Amino acid sequence: MKEIHIKEGPFLKTENKTNNIMNNLLIALIPIILYSFYKNGIVPYINGKSTIYQMLLPLIMIFVSVFVTFFTEYLYGILIKKEPKNIGYHLKTKYSIFPGLFLALILPINTPIWILIVGALISSLIGKIVFGGLGYNIFNPALIGRLFIITIFAVTITNNGGYLNSYEVDAISKSTPLSNYATIETIGTYDALVKPYGTLWNFFFGSIPGALGETSAFLCILGFLYLVYKKAIKWRIPITYIGTVFVMTYIIGSLNDATLWYPTFQILSGGLFFGAIFMATDPVTSPTTPIAQVIYGIFLGILTVVFRYLTNAPEGVLTSILIMNMFVIMIDRLGAYARFGYKKIAILVLVQIMLILGLSLYIAETKENKVNVDPNFNIISKETKNDATTYIVTEKGYSSLIKAEVIIKDSKIEKINILEQNDSFYSKVEESNYVDKFKNKSEVEDIDTVSGATITSTAIKKLARNVLNDYMG
Amino acid sequence: MALHLPKYKKKTLEHSLAKYMRPNYVYIPLINAGDTNITVLVQKGDYVNKGSIVGRRKGTFKIPILSSVSGIVVGFEEHICYNGEKVKCVKIENDFKDSELNVKKSKKITDFSKKEFLEIIKEKGIIGMGGAGFPTYAKYDTKRKINTLIVNAVECEPYITADQILGLNFTEEILEAIDAILTINEIEECYIAVKKNNSELINAFNNHIGTYLRVKLFLVDDMYPMGWERMLVKKIIKEDYDRLPIELGVVINNISTIYAIYSALKYNRALTERTVTFAGEMLKAPQNIVVKVGTPVKEIIESIEGYKRAKDITFIAGGPMMGTSLPSDDLIITPNLNCVLVIKSPVNELALPCIRCGKCVQVCPAKLSPVIIKDNLNNIETLKKLNTDKCIECGSCSYICPSRLNIRECVKLAKEKIKEVR
Repeated sequence: MKEIHIKEGPFLKTENKTNNIMNNLLIALIPIILYSFYKNGIVPYINGKSTIYQMLLPLIMIFVSVFVTFFTEYLYGILIKKEPKNIGYHLKTKYSIFPGLFLALILPINTPIWILIVGALISSLIGKIVFGGLGYNIFNPALIGRLFIITIFAVTITNNGGYLNSYEVDAISKSTPLSNYATIETIGTYDALVKPYGTLWNFFFGSIPGALGETSAFLCILGFLYLVYKKAIKWRIPITYIGTVFVMTYIIGSLNDATLWYPTFQILSGGLFFGAIFMATDPVTSPTTPIAQVIYGIFLGILTVVFRYLTNAPEGVLTSILIMNMFVIMIDRLGAYARFGYKKIAILVLVQIMLILGLSLYIAETKENKVNVDPNFNIISKETKNDATTYIVTEKGYSSLIKAEVIIKDSKIEKINILEQNDSFYSKVEESNYVDKFKNKSEVEDIDTVSGATITSTAIKKLARNVLNDYMG
Repeated sequence: MALHLPKYKKKTLEHSLAKYMRPNYVYIPLINAGDTNITVLVQKGDYVNKGSIVGRRKGTFKIPILSSVSGIVVGFEEHICYNGEKVKCVKIENDFKDSELNVKKSKKITDFSKKEFLEIIKEKGIIGMGGAGFPTYAKYDTKRKINTLIVNAVECEPYITADQILGLNFTEEILEAIDAILTINEIEECYIAVKKNNSELINAFNNHIGTYLRVKLFLVDDMYPMGWERMLVKKIIKEDYDRLPIELGVVINNISTIYAIYSALKYNRALTERTVTFAGEMLKAPQNIVVKVGTPVKEIIESIEGYKRAKDITFIAGGPMMGTSLPSDDLIITPNLNCVLVIKSPVNELALPCIRCGKCVQVCPAKLSPVIIKDNLNNIETLKKLNTDKCIECGSCSYICPSRLNIRECVKLAKEKIKEVR
């Protein structure tokens, strides 16, 4: 007798199983984990800034976090759901190491271990288990854990040292680029934003302060390319997300005369690459349809820019992802309908484009300026007596520093006295009674410079303009 | 969009085309295109010729069901057909004379009027041999102008090589038939759609196509389901149609159907035999065989040395993607059965929860979003808006699912739910 078994078709199945996808994700993260260990553990140690325990701390944090999320789900599985006790089974069916791994990578190095443990527990319990486990959670579990930690323990972590490892405390002594950026009211200058950390290459390769695993855009891109090659990532999300931030900050920057360094600084800061590539693409909590992925990515970009410029929370990436998680089901359904007709989705895309342009212009306007701040101008003193304000200022001239006293009254220049200078052609300026031309002016643009001493006279004009700008606020 | 699948076609192509033409009994299934609403026109004890009408479909398409042997009707029995269902069959005892009525000695096959053409392909039982079994005359019986004939020789499902081997063996006959169809129906052009990498078939056609100026080869990517009518029409004509290709002035026929038309026009022969691929690792000698409609598959498999093992067999009518797993090998050949696949029973793999990777959305050739259909199984209104009924059950979503979920079954279930509401 032949034994014929009925089976459900199709009878061919792809080799690319969920297990492979998760393994590939892990492979993509390994360089990031190793770099985190190098940057936060080894570098401080070889510079004599830390103990062996501190050197191992990045790895310890990752291990503890992974351990907690794995065993929380494991215990829940075997005790409540009566699942097999085989650890391998849980590793291969729950992927519960990932919330822990991601959580550790997005936290500051100085997060106390007990807080990390609490956060990891929250990630597992609130982030995943209450929703029904793998595949059913709405929010990215690691982000739930982080949100909890930041909401409750932010001060504790800051007091414990915040984001800077013991080497960075001495070497840089600034906070993370975006916390530094948050202290500036305007869109900021290269000197203020980038210089304290070196060049933009440091941002690209990751030797800047930041959460454990999110500083290196380079390694994130490597991981991204690997995952695209292995077809294990929703590639549209990071591309549109980072693209939107770039476009918006490019508009904001260029309206304030900043060049390409500005949007580059913005996309390389605040763990955007890590968030866009690894957190926003978490399969369970992101859209499945291609169009929805694009819309999701663009909204993430818009939200991140809004957070950075218009709120006190400078970071924005992880918060944006959590917020957008809520809308995934809705956007995804629209994305599915859109495969048969673009009308509804076209309106949404139009709204997005308007948001991008509108917000960019608004931010460029409100945060205007001082990209133009003249780096050669310095206010030494400023004194207001009666209704006159006296400035002592310096401005770089042709071959020397020009020091001058400027008196402002009723928003007009009352008098400019050149106190010190050693410019070669200053005599020509003196001959033409150049400084007298500024008398009673509130606007200096139409004053002609002195031929034969162009640089010197321009410097004086700049000096006057800068004083007026400062006086006006 | 669409999938790259492994091919598994080599084994059956190593054999030349065999024949199994002498069954003791045939069991002519009273079914066409899934419809078993058929008037029986013979009784027990009647003598029938090869090509005699034994039944006729009721309803719109009154296509005849034909005997594939000459002999005596000995009764009626139920047997399993390609769709896995038991179908009433006319059992005929073969007298091995193969006597046929009105066999013509070849008239020039272009010398038919359109009316004669329609009559012949209807009464000779010509139906779509690619799988659906839709009556072919109905495609040509239209008031619209037919601009383009597409001959589907894509054969995109793995394992199946029946069309290819037919094309290789009867290239000239097929081109001749196409030329006749074009002339009779005043169609301007014909595209024979072949997979890009099927160099054998491409060469075969290129060697003969020169004198047929209206006929061109159209090469398509090696993708699944490239042989699906809608996808192929879109590729060639670059337009979508709503319900039927004729809306774009297109008629699309399988290459095997074209060959059946050739026999009907040239020799006045009914569709009573076809080439079937017998494939799969559980067969000792997988190959293509020309068989009579109504032959029990069991008998044919015995004639090619049978099964490798008697255990762990999964027996499939059709290909690995769209075929139906049957409870036994009691399967009867119908004109639309292109493959019998006998494989080692696949191990049931542990299915994981859906991780929403979106791969099923990417591969769906009908542009459905299977994962979202799965989420909304209880929401009929949403299911309708998601165009669930456009599913062609090609199985791409189930193939690609990394969590090993059989999403196609979800979508099928959703389709049924929509039907119930209507």
